[in-house]
Amino acid sequence: MSDTTPDVMDTLAGLPQGSAVAELRRQRPDVARYTQTSDEAIFAPADDGGLTRLERLAAALRVAVRLRDTTLGDHYRERLVALLGGKAPEHAEGDSKRRGLIHDHVDRVTSDPDSATKANIDALLAGGLTPHAVVSLSQVIAYVNFQSRVLAGLRMLRDAP
Amino acid sequence: MTKPIRDFTHGELEWSPWLTPVDQNAADAAQRDALKITPSSRPVGAYSLVLAHDPESLAQRSPLYNAIMFGQKGLPRADRELGAVVSSRINGCAYCASVHALRFVQLAKEPDVMARIQAEGVDTTFEPRRQAIVDYAAKLTRDPAAISAADLAPLRAQGLSDLEILDLTHAVAMFAWANRLMQTLGEPAP
Repeated sequence: MSDTTPDVMDTLAGLPQGSAVAELRRQRPDVARYTQTSDEAIFAPADDGGLTRLERLAAALRVAVRLRDTTLGDHYRERLVALLGGKAPEHAEGDSKRRGLIHDHVDRVTSDPDSATKANIDALLAGGLTPHAVVSLSQVIAYVNFQSRVLAGLRMLRDAP
Repeated sequence: MTKPIRDFTHGELEWSPWLTPVDQNAADAAQRDALKITPSSRPVGAYSLVLAHDPESLAQRSPLYNAIMFGQKGLPRADRELGAVVSSRINGCAYCASVHALRFVQLAKEPDVMARIQAEGVDTTFEPRRQAIVDYAAKLTRDPAAISAADLAPLRAQGLSDLEILDLTHAVAMFAWANRLMQTLGEPAP
């Protein structure tokens, strides 16, 4: 990625190339660069460790919806629909027990991380997630929480008088 | 009022993982590579070894953390640490708060600020510049969707530049991330 190409954050914050806040972000080139590469590592890993791209996007969508970030929610919904070849994500197939475990974890870690216990991790492992998948799920949830807060700040700066 | 939290103002707590860490001696090439950079350039510990189960994300996240917390110029480092502590206090991450309260005190020499956040939470009064920083950090932590252009005025009134405000945003957001990993993959050791 070059330092001036609009990246995921520019796109989601509505920052046209060359705009004041897009230029401000370029004063922190390493932050912009490693935010973009983190996004790629989390949603398009070479080795998914057993947590599929579909599960990653579905978890991200759920975080965005919980945080009431509609732009971010639309972004993950569109990526899910694209991955599903046009099918609505509600109709995605898969193991409903596993999906429920993942959804519960998304909700807890997003909205009340202080309530998490070792039993939650044990339940994910017992539900068939590998240690790699458990860490990946944690990274997806935590990353989207990061992303929504960076976007809130960027939009605030964008809309400043 | 923020919930009570274990004392984080008397030195760093230890962290104990809930998931078996990667065995450093048995780590594969991708894991060894991802562990070359650590947050704050600390020695490789249990936290990094747990995250090494997913080496691809770890390899990008550690340099991102360091760029946000240690990037040159812009917001003074003490204020980035303050943003980290506000997030950690609200989320209830006593381990994270202990690490970053110590750094704040080393940089700012104001232990009373940390003692007050420990005792009273973040909804208390500070001198005006710190107040503006704490109020923004708290709102961004609790409900990012509630942030609007109006939240900029108190920060600018205290003389923060747009780059400093971006730096503060990044620091608080990074702890929305870090707190969630630390709090949901392990706990402070007794």
